[in-house]
Amino acid sequence: MRSLYFLLLVLGALILQVTALHFIVVLGVKPDLVLILVILNGFLRGTREGAFLGFVGGILQDLVSGGYFGMHALTNMFAGYLAGLGEGRLYRDNRVIAAGLSGFCTLGAQLVYYLLLELVGVQVPVLTALVSIIIPLGVYNALVALVIYGWYYRSHQRGMLRGREI
Amino acid sequence: MSRMSGGKRLIFLAVLLIVILVGLHYSAGNVDRLTPLESALRETLAPVQRLAMVAGREVSGFVSAPARLIKVSRRNQALEERVEELEGKLAQYGEIKEENARLKELLAFKTNLASQLTTEAAAVIGRTPGNWFGSIIINKGAKDGIRRDMTVITPAGLVGRVMRVSDSTAEVLLITDPRSGVGGLVQETRAPGIVEGVAGGRGVLQMVHIPNDLAPDKGHGIITSGFGSVFPKGIPVGTVTEVRRERSGLFKMALVKSAVDFNRLEEVLVITSVNPGGSDNSRGG
Repeated sequence: MRSLYFLLLVLGALILQVTALHFIVVLGVKPDLVLILVILNGFLRGTREGAFLGFVGGILQDLVSGGYFGMHALTNMFAGYLAGLGEGRLYRDNRVIAAGLSGFCTLGAQLVYYLLLELVGVQVPVLTALVSIIIPLGVYNALVALVIYGWYYRSHQRGMLRGREI
Repeated sequence: MSRMSGGKRLIFLAVLLIVILVGLHYSAGNVDRLTPLESALRETLAPVQRLAMVAGREVSGFVSAPARLIKVSRRNQALEERVEELEGKLAQYGEIKEENARLKELLAFKTNLASQLTTEAAAVIGRTPGNWFGSIIINKGAKDGIRRDMTVITPAGLVGRVMRVSDSTAEVLLITDPRSGVGGLVQETRAPGIVEGVAGGRGVLQMVHIPNDLAPDKGHGIITSGFGSVFPKGIPVGTVTEVRRERSGLFKMALVKSAVDFNRLEEVLVITSVNPGGSDNSRGG
């Protein structure tokens, strides 16, 4: 049931992402809410569930985006796994740590996405990719995670996202 | 999942990766078509997206209202001065307009691009969820006569082309998308080139393969060339902001600021046909 709630949350984030988030574009980028949710889930639940729900959330994102099927599934799975490595090693009560981890995992996931873009033949100069998308998105996602982590953590402890591991 | 042994998990992961990579390879060649599942999902989400877009616009408007008030006050003062200046010019303009109408009639001269196009107005109801690509979703689709490769514009200039169509929505590939290429022409020097999108949402384009001897200057306008492309000739694309030499040294390239503000796109016009005869056939959306 908890996984279903999480995926509904991902779907809601996706709808925001294709509509209203456009109004908070900074330096040409908007935050990737789905990626943030996947990272926070991985951080609080560990590598296995992080990667699994990252993959399923990514499939959902691929279906909504259309086009290259599987790219978000792979990158989000990677991000969920990477964030899961922090579970048990990093102090989870501190939102600054969660924000830093979100920024770091976003950078990693976006680098994987960039490599997959090369694989499907979409050429973006590496400097443009880093300066225009990857680094600003890393910073933006970290800031958004800083704001929403408290709510997400409470929900994980006592709310609808509470429960045993899958 | 938790009952799988380490080895089995590894094999499962490897199979999953292979399936996704094969799927990715297959879908890379078919990005121009929606699968039935994608199409159904898009149809279902379209009304929700429309609602969320309107709500987002309202919230954004409300939050930025105080800052806008200060701006409006300054702008009002500047505009009042401008109105005085323009009122003087208006008197002269009336006379010139009369003369212009007479001359046009005499020469049967068609300068107004809009009068040569049949267009369908559509509202933007969604955008690509990520940051790498630039596409928008509009609320008109196959049942409204929208087809693949139709050109999409606003009164300011070129927006992109229709990439994929479902029954009541269509996805438009923006000219800022790294997969987009538009045949362009520098208005002042008549130099041809290809206008490509640069990833990221800053509305920056680059025009490549410009002959050295016809290199544009900063401020020159770029329009569509119409050469072997899906875009009709003469649609404004943007303005040159910087000129550089290409890495090969054989050509010049220019950075171009798009004529359209892609961050504020709310309505667009889809060109359904071009009529060199020149009657205005716009339809409301």
